[in-house]
Amino acid sequence: MLEKMAGEEITSSATTQDTVVGSNPPPVVKKKRNLPGNPDPDAEVIALSPKTLMATNRFLCEICGKGFQRDQNLQLHRRGHNLPWKLKQRTSKEPRKRVYVCPEKTCVHHHPSRALGDLTGIKKHFCRKHGEKKWKCEKCSKRYAVQSDWKAHSKTCGTREYRCDCGTLFSRRDSFITHRAFCDALAEETARITAASNIHNVTAGNINYHFLGTSSARPNMVQHFSPVFKPIQSSNDGAIDQSRPGLSLWMNQGSQSSQALMNNNLPELHQIGSAGLGTLFATDPLISSCSNIPSQMDYPVNWDFGNKLSSTNTGELTSTSLPLTNLKEVGSPRFSSAPSLYSTQHHHNQLPPPIMSATALLQKAAAIGSTWNEPSFLESFGVKCNNSQVVQDGNKYNGLFAPNSVPTNLTTDLENSASDLSSMNNQLQMYPRKRQNTQKDDTEGGQTRDFLGVGVHQTICPSTINGWI
Amino acid sequence: MDTVIYNPKPSYFMYSNVNQQGNDQAVDMRNNNQPPASQASTSHSSESAGDPCGPGKWAARLLRDCAKALSEKDSSRIHHLLWMLNELASAYGDCEQKLASHFSQALFCKATEMGELCFNTLSSVAERSRSFESARKMILKFQEVSPWTTFGHVASNGAILEALDGESKLHIIDISNTFCTQWPTLLEALATRNDETPRLKLTVVTTVSMERSVMKEIRQRMEKFARLMGVPFEFHVVSELYRLAELTKEELGVQDDEAVAVNCIGALRRINVKDRDAVVHMLHTLGPKVVTVVEEEADFTSSMDDFVKCFDECLRFYALFFEMLEESFLPTSNERLMLERECSRSILSVLACDEGDGGSCSTEESERRERGRQWCDRLKEAFSPVGFSDDVVDDVRALLKRYRAGWSLVLPQGDDDSGLYLTWKEEPVVWASAWKP
Repeated sequence: MLEKMAGEEITSSATTQDTVVGSNPPPVVKKKRNLPGNPDPDAEVIALSPKTLMATNRFLCEICGKGFQRDQNLQLHRRGHNLPWKLKQRTSKEPRKRVYVCPEKTCVHHHPSRALGDLTGIKKHFCRKHGEKKWKCEKCSKRYAVQSDWKAHSKTCGTREYRCDCGTLFSRRDSFITHRAFCDALAEETARITAASNIHNVTAGNINYHFLGTSSARPNMVQHFSPVFKPIQSSNDGAIDQSRPGLSLWMNQGSQSSQALMNNNLPELHQIGSAGLGTLFATDPLISSCSNIPSQMDYPVNWDFGNKLSSTNTGELTSTSLPLTNLKEVGSPRFSSAPSLYSTQHHHNQLPPPIMSATALLQKAAAIGSTWNEPSFLESFGVKCNNSQVVQDGNKYNGLFAPNSVPTNLTTDLENSASDLSSMNNQLQMYPRKRQNTQKDDTEGGQTRDFLGVGVHQTICPSTINGWI
Repeated sequence: MDTVIYNPKPSYFMYSNVNQQGNDQAVDMRNNNQPPASQASTSHSSESAGDPCGPGKWAARLLRDCAKALSEKDSSRIHHLLWMLNELASAYGDCEQKLASHFSQALFCKATEMGELCFNTLSSVAERSRSFESARKMILKFQEVSPWTTFGHVASNGAILEALDGESKLHIIDISNTFCTQWPTLLEALATRNDETPRLKLTVVTTVSMERSVMKEIRQRMEKFARLMGVPFEFHVVSELYRLAELTKEELGVQDDEAVAVNCIGALRRINVKDRDAVVHMLHTLGPKVVTVVEEEADFTSSMDDFVKCFDECLRFYALFFEMLEESFLPTSNERLMLERECSRSILSVLACDEGDGGSCSTEESERRERGRQWCDRLKEAFSPVGFSDDVVDDVRALLKRYRAGWSLVLPQGDDDSGLYLTWKEEPVVWASAWKP
């Protein structure tokens, strides 16, 4: 059914355009949700003018002329007119899938190959990116272009609390930021030697990051975790923990970034974040989308991450997630496999020079016991990733990397998705349980399966063990 | 009764009696708000002089009397009043006692012409005990309980961000007294608000003593935080505040492809009065896109030659400040004590040190404030005012809402005034402005 406009011009020639530029992967047989910005090539591309796009009552009833915001609403309304059966039908042939391009020429989504599939979605996108921010939060004077974004923010504004590494609690974001910058917890860059427990937590956390980096499907992080973990679990000797550090080290291929990752200090994680993690996340726009969280509102969410990673602050939230703030700038949404991307990426890093040798770090990692308690970490992390729209127009790189300047609008999406956390939490419950099971199963690991457990004899590239590379 | 005062010898005995009474009076006064020494004869002139203070403000009364006596060189009265003040004052008491303590110290030094000596002693003590830790605690706590400094920060950051929007190489020349606490929020904004994160070079102009004591730590933390935020960052320190008027573009490291912003928070008042116009001119030569100036609303400059007038203004301002501190901090706050000690040194330098070539405290620490309007006149020589945008004003309002009641924002009236005023209990206390060449 064609949209009926009353006296408004449509700058669209898209209805004549049958196919989208064929730079997209062919549609899968199974109907699955495409990534935003990678539309179905068979879809009909519609280009609406800004005026048309923002018009509220685009769908008009031909009988009484009443306008509706949505096609579905119009159809419902038409039923009430008691039309003869013939006229009840839609006037056009069967509707084709429609995708919409952004009217703003400079926008990435202006090109049909990056069209968005949802009319509401393109409306919101247009508003957020190219529209005037008319809605303003009273408490913190943050501005929004889309009313629903503003409403969602107002609900949570001021209710968030921010906790620093040092344990201080803040209700105001600005004083939190200032404190953070001057806090001692941040300043211990040179103190790289700490208790083994720190290393464990750090590496455990790193594995998480890493694995998330390798997963590439969107909606169900859970499923992706298990296959990723499987090879390692089957081959490792026992405690998952031992494989975890191993995997991260392995992925690092003994580069200097492994030093960064193996840093003992939790504050080190910040360094990692700025360098190593940034690259890990470069593999996955989903992850980088997650990284947008902290930049907007989710310092507290970030604390969730830190909480699981830290053994020193039991029950307290730590700030390991702060590195994620850098991740918003992490670039390309390429889906290359983590190892290869990582190895290319890390060359661009300006990483701090390694202080501990890789072997020493391996030894330390081997000595770590198993206190993996990531479930909630993964939940929160996975959840956030799940709920965000992955924006294919990329993210900007960390300042250390080559700049890649495309903004994301994930932030608002993420904010809106905050409420979905609890539902996703349930979904992800299965994951930790799975791993705990395998953990118990593999307690009798021989040394051959010890990914990293022995440490001393292990090289930095235990790739032969599980065949990842 | 009045005549007794002028008789030196007996008056000493009087003093002791007065003292007894004075103490009781002081105690009663606090309870009953009775004027002090109402039975002693020292209040004769204060009542008749159109004293604006209420009955509870005994310190102001005595202090003013003493200042007047000083200007009249009435040494016996000076003695008398100073002695009274000494008995009643305490740096650890209530507001009145604190004011009495700090101001009487300044008056004493003025009377004995020991101003510079005393000031230097206090300064070196402070410097020795100053550390990054203590300075950090003090300033952060102050910012947490009071918008005195954060007001200027938010306004300035807003103006800077707007003026430098779209630039890729930013250079901020920071001449402030807030230990770089302004910059984390700016770094965060640079990292998140814009699509492309620009590079930021921060050049801090400070005193030699500051550089020695706290700048190293501040550098570390700023650099680390900028790394965390993902903002390419450079931090430079130029410890030549005392010769600010003569600094050049090269000395400050200003390059031609950079977009420059100059940020002066509580800075211009530390320049010698005679050098201020030269400094304004120097800032202009840097070619900045925006100059943000934040100063406190007090005028110790135009009355430089009239001691009593200057004293009155000084007393008015610091009474407000101490009252604000008392109501914002917890009663037993260490940070508040540190701030008050700093005020004490400042009061001393304004009242008891000569600003001239002879006075050694006319270097970095003299703080002859001027009001916003006066600064406007100076700045208009080289710059034209830029109003704060609605967004920035909204940000400031939102900031004030996060603090206790009593703070408010006032936009300037009249044409010869620009900027924003922070008011505490309806009194303007801090002025923030932005200028472009």
